[in-house]
Amino acid sequence: MNRKMDYLTFIVASIRNKPGRNLATVFCFAFIAANVFSAQYLISGASGSFDQGVLRMGADLMVVPSQYQWLFRGSGPQNTAALVKVEPTTFRFTTGTMDKMKNVTNIVKMSPQIYIAKLTVPDLSSSPVEIYGIDPVTDFTIQPWLQYPLDHSLNSGEVIIGNALSAERSSKITLSGHTYTVAGVLDPTQSAVDHTIFLGLDDAYTLAAAEGVLPAADPPIRRGDINAVMVQVVPGADPEMVNSRIRQPSNAITVIQRHFALDPTAREVQGLPALLNMISAVVIVAALPLIALIAGMVAHERQREIGLFMSMGAKRSVIFFLVIVESLVLAAIGGIAGVGASLAVFFVLNAQGFLTSTLQVSFRMPSAAGIGMITAVTLIIVITIGSIASLWPAYRSSMMNPYDAIRGGWR
Amino acid sequence: MIEVTGVTKTYSAQGSEVRAVDDVHFEVKTGDFVLILGRSGSGKSTLLGMLAGLIRPTNGVIRFNGKEIGSLSEDKISELRAKEIGFVFQFSGLIPTITALENVMLPTLFSPNGSGSRSEALKLLKRVGMSHRADAYPRTLSSGEMKRVAIARALINGPALIIADEPTGDLDVDTEYEIMELFRELNREGKTIVMVTHNPDLVPYANRTYGMDRGKLVQRSDPFPFRMVPEGGAQPHQSDRP
Repeated sequence: MNRKMDYLTFIVASIRNKPGRNLATVFCFAFIAANVFSAQYLISGASGSFDQGVLRMGADLMVVPSQYQWLFRGSGPQNTAALVKVEPTTFRFTTGTMDKMKNVTNIVKMSPQIYIAKLTVPDLSSSPVEIYGIDPVTDFTIQPWLQYPLDHSLNSGEVIIGNALSAERSSKITLSGHTYTVAGVLDPTQSAVDHTIFLGLDDAYTLAAAEGVLPAADPPIRRGDINAVMVQVVPGADPEMVNSRIRQPSNAITVIQRHFALDPTAREVQGLPALLNMISAVVIVAALPLIALIAGMVAHERQREIGLFMSMGAKRSVIFFLVIVESLVLAAIGGIAGVGASLAVFFVLNAQGFLTSTLQVSFRMPSAAGIGMITAVTLIIVITIGSIASLWPAYRSSMMNPYDAIRGGWR
Repeated sequence: MIEVTGVTKTYSAQGSEVRAVDDVHFEVKTGDFVLILGRSGSGKSTLLGMLAGLIRPTNGVIRFNGKEIGSLSEDKISELRAKEIGFVFQFSGLIPTITALENVMLPTLFSPNGSGSRSEALKLLKRVGMSHRADAYPRTLSSGEMKRVAIARALINGPALIIADEPTGDLDVDTEYEIMELFRELNREGKTIVMVTHNPDLVPYANRTYGMDRGKLVQRSDPFPFRMVPEGGAQPHQSDRP
């Protein structure tokens, strides 16, 4: 009951009870916010998609036994597909090959893979399921495809499964009497990966030793056997050079090289932020005088009110403060409205794949944290614009001759 | 309370100098009910603005409780207004976006003491017979009701002086009577009142009356020396009250 009047109550009441007067200002702020937010959202989404795409490009080189090339001519030395996993093959070498490769310069990452077998698992898929062993610690070709990154390294007893298999994260699956927990599910790849189960190397060797897993005709898999080493070279290094250095010590291996580069795509994607930022800047520059004009008109309309405040003892600094704060509140309302509207539109467009098809780049919605960051940046920009645009009207209002203003008279 | 000595206010209008207030001398004592009578354009509102420190005189000195207003900074004058002076205007001057109660509380925003709470505002509304309309917005109030709320607002910071600029100018005769009675009560309770008006019917409410014409101020004598009707203008309304 003894609550006193405060500035915020007064400002909010002024805004709430004069919606018409403030609508144009709020709309302007909402327009700016929507523009800035959209630009940053698209940049972030496209950039995230590009980064993820790079991660999912797999290996630059795949080192395999030399017999592999004879069998899989489609996966020859100049491979046109992303190198994510080795083809099912029984040609193997040992992890000792990796030891020799350690001396080759310009290699960033190496990770072994072993194909175990194709198994029929009716609970998971009507078609046979391929079983692979990977090293969860060094793997860089499979785990980037996870729908949700693992919060820990793949443990013994855990598997990662392809998208076409009917099991969910944290569910249990059984392979030849061994039970595993699904630690993660991969995004769709439209390749054989979708029908594949990946185990840690130790689990893979244990499973391979189980009765009936390997076809009788296949040579047994011993611990340390692998089918391929996936290799990532130092960015900017010549993969051909690395390729030849890997092959030098031995004729028993061959190196399959990815035959496409990411640079042209990268250049296309890099152009997008510059364009969107430029559009945002133009909108902001165009909107600034417009908002200043509207704020000036509102201040003019309220000159009698301001004169009255002065007659009540309001100092000029208080009048200045009131005009600025009211503008900031309007900016915040407009900013939130603009961001909310943009988010809703993007959510609908993204759900229908419209962004990906229109922008010609794979679009991935930014994370909640990313959206929060973009929202915060947008609101800061809009509020800054609001305060700059209201500086002159606030100054004019505070310097008004109070008695002239009051004597205009109004009910 | 107020001493006005040789105050002049000149404006430049269309290349010529206009003396809105011309060498005015007068005094307002604590507890006075002073009426300044004059027709439109006589300079009475300009004089009122100078008394409140809203307008700076071109020449002369105005002292408020011994302090020379002209020597005070703008902020000090604002503080003086917030603490010592309550305003009532011809038009209600209520802020249309807030309720009657919030309008009454509004001056507390600008007072260094900030003493006016919601309960005090309600008491004042009750005092002026408006507590039942505390939550009403100004657009739903009659002219008389708005004036009552404006008077309550003028009182919220506990000022010693109430300055009223044509407070009954837009009211019918009955409402004018009610409002003037309210001013009379406030004066009896110790508030000093300085009121300007063009209505000679209000003279009986004041203990001292001045007349103002073309910027000159003269203490009222009988018969009153100034013509209250502009040449060719309408007759001011006459009332049989008080």
